[in-house]
Amino acid sequence: MSQKPTLEDLIGIEYAKLGFFKEVQEKVAELQASNLKLELKRRHIQGILDGITDVMAIISLDFRITSVNQVFYNVFEETDPAGKFCFQVFRRQECRCASCPMVIALATNKVCRQLEIFPVNGKNRHFEITASPLRNPQGTPCHILVLKRDVTTEKEYQAKYYQAEKMATVGVLAAGVAHEINNPLTAISGFAEGLKRRLPRLKEKVDPDLAEDFDEYIDIILKECRRCQGIVQNLLDFGRPKSNHFCSLDLSSVIQDTLKLLQNHLKAYPKEHIRLRLQDPLPSIYGDDSQLKQVILNLLFNALDATSEKGCITLRTFSRRSGEEEWVGLAVEDTGTGIPSEHLNKLFEPFFTTKPAGKGIGIGLPTCYNIIQNHGGEIVVCSEELKGSTFLVRLPSGTSALPVLTL
Amino acid sequence: MTRVHKFSIPEIIFGRGSLSYTGLCARQLGGEKVFLVSDRGLEEAGWVARVIEVLEAEKLRWVYYSEVVSNPRDFQTHKGAEYYLQQGADVIIALGGGSPMDAAKGIALVASNGGQIQDYEGANRIHRPLPPMVFIPSTAGSGSDISQFSIITDVGRQVKMSIISRTLVPNISIIDPLILETKSQKLIIAAAIDALCHAVESYVSKISSPFTEVQSLQAIRLILQHLKPAVATRSLEHLEQLSIASTAAGMAFSNAGLGAEHALAHSLGGMFDTLHGLVHPILLPHVMRFNLSACTEKIAVIGEILLGRPLGSVQETAAAGIEMLETYCGELNVPVRLREIVQDRSRLEDLCKMAVNDVCLLTNPRPAGWEDLLHICWEAW
Repeated sequence: MSQKPTLEDLIGIEYAKLGFFKEVQEKVAELQASNLKLELKRRHIQGILDGITDVMAIISLDFRITSVNQVFYNVFEETDPAGKFCFQVFRRQECRCASCPMVIALATNKVCRQLEIFPVNGKNRHFEITASPLRNPQGTPCHILVLKRDVTTEKEYQAKYYQAEKMATVGVLAAGVAHEINNPLTAISGFAEGLKRRLPRLKEKVDPDLAEDFDEYIDIILKECRRCQGIVQNLLDFGRPKSNHFCSLDLSSVIQDTLKLLQNHLKAYPKEHIRLRLQDPLPSIYGDDSQLKQVILNLLFNALDATSEKGCITLRTFSRRSGEEEWVGLAVEDTGTGIPSEHLNKLFEPFFTTKPAGKGIGIGLPTCYNIIQNHGGEIVVCSEELKGSTFLVRLPSGTSALPVLTL
Repeated sequence: MTRVHKFSIPEIIFGRGSLSYTGLCARQLGGEKVFLVSDRGLEEAGWVARVIEVLEAEKLRWVYYSEVVSNPRDFQTHKGAEYYLQQGADVIIALGGGSPMDAAKGIALVASNGGQIQDYEGANRIHRPLPPMVFIPSTAGSGSDISQFSIITDVGRQVKMSIISRTLVPNISIIDPLILETKSQKLIIAAAIDALCHAVESYVSKISSPFTEVQSLQAIRLILQHLKPAVATRSLEHLEQLSIASTAAGMAFSNAGLGAEHALAHSLGGMFDTLHGLVHPILLPHVMRFNLSACTEKIAVIGEILLGRPLGSVQETAAAGIEMLETYCGELNVPVRLREIVQDRSRLEDLCKMAVNDVCLLTNPRPAGWEDLLHICWEAW
């Protein structure tokens, strides 16, 4: 005993039976403070989560969705995904996917990334999927966090980039080949010319029939040489566009000028075979007159080849404004045979052709592609087999120099 | 002497069959898993099973602790507290005499405040609240179900420690006279004399108040009137009155304190492990004689109750009253000389030197040194 008790201690007026009230008060205050802290933390984390623009879902180990973020509802139609199977909600399937990134993530105990293409609301979308296991305090995985990033647009850009790169490479190759062929071709045609000049002297000495054969054959050699020179020139043009003469243009009048050039050729077709739906006035564009004519000619010849006498071709011009940018469009629509879907993505590849040998070597559309690229524009195609095709060219409007895509 | 008084007691539920409210009381105190403390005797009498039945009827879970002996030991409270914490119990229910109840207080104290029971020896040294306590006394005597005292034996020092704190007052005391029916004659006498002693000492205490004095006198009256018939007939009516007396004495001594007799009794219990109730008939008359000069009038009031009438003078009444008490105790067929319960007279000096430090001595009406206490012991030898 450190201190001997006194009578006052025994009476103990200052001492009451101790209750838990004070302790409870302290605990309540403590809990309130920690609750506030947790709430702040929660909001902080919520802010981070809200900032994530990918579709996010927490999925249990039996493939049922536990919760999703707000972005989910923007992308998917499902209004109440909680408790449903992930493969039902995401893929509209009845059983789990063959290469499930969640299963891989669990098996390897690592974050798993995968690229998947599946339809969402009827459209194929390209998703980068990340699955990472969530662990309970004991360290065993209890849920899986799945992030789905829509990379469709990135993938499209990537494809376009590869295409452009390929075109550039092929262009350089073609120019090289064309150059190499040009020299022997000049020699062949030169010597053929020489033979032709010497023919009159030969005529006097040989059988007239033989002389006529010689005359005809040399003419064929020269004609075919000129054709080769034309092809070679095309190849050189494709690979190494001629110096541009850019100026302010009205696309509609470029089309009309082009059609005048073709007047003779078009006489063979019915009157209403080509219809014009040209917007007037149309915002002007900045471009090269002859190059654009080449594009229009190319597209028009393709359309003529695809249509029978009953079909028709419509040339339309229009302008569209989206935000700051204004576009001028040219659509070449035909009601022809259409293009098989497997050919659609190869159309702009050099040397891809469906025409019989001698009718084309497959550099028409790639050349168009290069020209439109150089104009800062875009050329796309949509087609339905047996119903027809539409080639759509979009060019930025304006009267001054553009940021030209470098190839 | 004017001073500020304080009177505090637990909620008291009294009456035949009141035991059946035990579960409800525990439930109301927030209990879900009760820690029940009792001893072998009450198990054998079937009362432990009865309490468990009542708890289960209230859908309460429970754990039972019975490692308690007469004069409960420090290690028993430590072991109990460990068990209490390990079991995650909440409300503490004690069923029994002074020993299980004091042990239960010690367990509640160590479990909630930590450390050793020795850390709390003395007055008002408890600083944290205790678990809720519901006590069911099985003897009409100890008053532990009412009091702010807990008496635990420090085995190492062979001392009975007094731990005093208002926080040791149980929340609810359930007094069911039916439990007394199964008590032995010896236990009934020992408990009643303990209660009588509480009443006498608290009446003459230095800090008695009108609120305690009325309880003390009430207890003395009831015990004198009903103890002998209760022992003879064991009728419930008399036992019930002894219960009331014991509770009244508890209310008195918890608030007014005790005196030299209890200081000596605690030391005897600590040194020789004597049954607490057996000490009082031996020592009480001699302590009263020692105190006579300091509180003649008060002892005369007691004497008047014992004699049934006042004598010529206060001194006469007081002295005759003490003699009457000696006669009365002699008639109860219990030891009346100290030599009957203590073998070794030579240890009395050590005993008194220890008793002089007992908290109970503080409220004794006449200051007493160890020599005075030794003198009382010789008188009682």
